[in-house]
Amino acid sequence: MPTTYHDPCNYGRRAEQMFGRGFFDEPRWILSQCVENWVELYPTAQRQICCGGGGGALTSGYNDERIHYGRRKMDQIRAAGARMIVVPCHSCHGQLNNLKSQYDFEDLTVKYLWELVADCMVV
Amino acid sequence: MTDIDTHQTTDLNGLDPGRFRDWSCDQDFCVTCALCSSACPVSGIDDFDPRKLVRMTALGMEDEIVEARWPWICTMCGKCENLCPMDIHIPAMVRRIRGLRDRDAVPGILHKGLEAAMQSGNNLGLPREDFVFILEDVAEEVAEEPGFEGFKVPIDKKGANLLTTIHNKLVNTHTEDLKHWWKIFHAAGEDWTVSSVNWEGTNWGYFTGDDERMKVMVDRIVEQMERLEVKNLMWPE
Ligand code: SF4
Ligand code: SF4
Repeated sequence: MPTTYHDPCNYGRRAEQMFGRGFFDEPRWILSQCVENWVELYPTAQRQICCGGGGGALTSGYNDERIHYGRRKMDQIRAAGARMIVVPCHSCHGQLNNLKSQYDFEDLTVKYLWELVADCMVV
Repeated sequence: MTDIDTHQTTDLNGLDPGRFRDWSCDQDFCVTCALCSSACPVSGIDDFDPRKLVRMTALGMEDEIVEARWPWICTMCGKCENLCPMDIHIPAMVRRIRGLRDRDAVPGILHKGLEAAMQSGNNLGLPREDFVFILEDVAEEVAEEPGFEGFKVPIDKKGANLLTTIHNKLVNTHTEDLKHWWKIFHAAGEDWTVSSVNWEGTNWGYFTGDDERMKVMVDRIVEQMERLEVKNLMWPE
């Protein structure tokens, strides 16, 4: 399945901004252990587009605005040709799952990074 | 919530430039270049764009910025801050504005969830017995899968290597998602634990600009680490 990765704002850009160190490489290394030939979104890493579900947006009640916010995220995933998006964030996961039904993208699989690891383990 | 009518006349005598200088967000040094507005995914919604909010904050227009829904539509994603030539901390400024709202007027369930957490230890108000029941129930399901025979969830294990917090949705509507980390811990032979009280990993005081309650939530996690004599914390929320 064509797979891609989404950088949550707080683990990436904002962590870099606030603490001088963003987590961009580590999740990509983990993803590469599980999936061959996954593709990057464009833009990516520091310039990644927010999913629109952060900062409490999933629970603020401003749902129309939140869904509108996510339009660029959906376009970006489509443009990458991906059918699975891997995320290491509860808010992004919730938002992406919600967006896919709003933007006619039901065949998109939204996967936690740790879920992918658990799926790939041979025990 | 009031929409801001940017076409209305503003009483210039009511302005108070530099009023929020002690926020350490540097909004007073905005050069009005609008790079932030170009970067923002919600510029245009409800007439919002970050430059306007920055300027209004710099001019001390407290009532307008506090009543606007703009600070709540922003996700504090930091796209704006990333480009700002003056290094203005726009997400932090947004959070400060949120904090000025009357707590009863905080939108959605954000403050209600936080209040429930103040009372009960978690946003759901879930009692300890129910929490333990859910975890043990899910653990039994894991133990039925090949390779995970005998799996148990080590609740309140003193001296474990790792304490993990729990996102409230995982003991509410998404219990299946508890299993992934548990399976990884099992396969890795990790000596881990979860606290039966104050296990909540989300901290809605961060979202609502409520420093006081945010600290309470953080302190509680530290307390559990001390109580259980655990040195490492995994806090994936
Ligand atoms: S990018 Fe910075 S300096 Fe430019 S308008 Fe926005 S806040 Fe002001
Ligand atoms: S932090 Fe808020 S204002 Fe800045 S780009 Fe993101 S949504 Fe827009």
